[in-house]
Amino acid sequence: MLFFSFFKTLVDQEVTVELKNDIEIKGTLKSVDQYLNLKIDNISTVNEGKYPHLKSVKTLFIRGSTVRYVHMSPSSVDCTLLQDASRREALVQSAK
Amino acid sequence: MSTLRTEQQSQEPLDLIRFQLDEFVLVKLRGAREMKGRLQGYDSHCNMVLSEAQEFIFSEKDVEPIVKKTEMVFVRGDSVILVSPSTE
Amino acid sequence: MSTDPSHFLSNIIGSSVTVKLHNGVKYAGVLQSIDGFMNVVLQNGTEVAGESSRTYGDVFIRGNNGMYE
Repeated sequence: MLFFSFFKTLVDQEVTVELKNDIEIKGTLKSVDQYLNLKIDNISTVNEGKYPHLKSVKTLFIRGSTVRYVHMSPSSVDCTLLQDASRREALVQSAK
Repeated sequence: MSTLRTEQQSQEPLDLIRFQLDEFVLVKLRGAREMKGRLQGYDSHCNMVLSEAQEFIFSEKDVEPIVKKTEMVFVRGDSVILVSPSTE
Repeated sequence: MSTDPSHFLSNIIGSSVTVKLHNGVKYAGVLQSIDGFMNVVLQNGTEVAGESSRTYGDVFIRGNNGMYE
């Protein structure tokens, strides 16, 4: 659940999603669910020449399992908070 | 899972990752990739957030890997093969 | 002697093991810990991939990749 909450804090921020099939999509994160499925608005493909079929698409729903990376601006991440949340999550997990 | 715990060995594997928070780690990934970066967050699926990261994409043997820098990146856990403290 | 798998695994903590991954790469080291997902931590892990080898101080191997010793 940690990264679900993490991605919720990134809503309305600019992100670049790299999929496992190497397609890179840049856009505004609009929503996220517990599977880390993502909804991205105002998209543009980073390597457009290679994947022209997304040229006319504006909004995209991405199945979480197809994601390799999500790049984001460092200014949109509170590192101390994320580290503490990870430690807390580890405690909860090991108690199970 | 708790049945695996013995008296002298109360640690579990994910503890190694916890100890690496705020440190540089080397993450080996599927698709002949590696990522080095400072560990900012992780969960039990090995989802991770790394800052000051460098991605290395290996194509063929004896050819230098492609290096991509990224300031802040989320890595999905299902691509992770191994995690180790980075020497840098 | 118990043949319970989880007993077996906790009994071999501290011994030298080899973990083989789906991709054929092997890792040898001292088994520091293991959990129910078969996540593994090796001490002084050494990667054995063909002729090349590489060492790590401690290494965490995600459970789904391991085929195990």
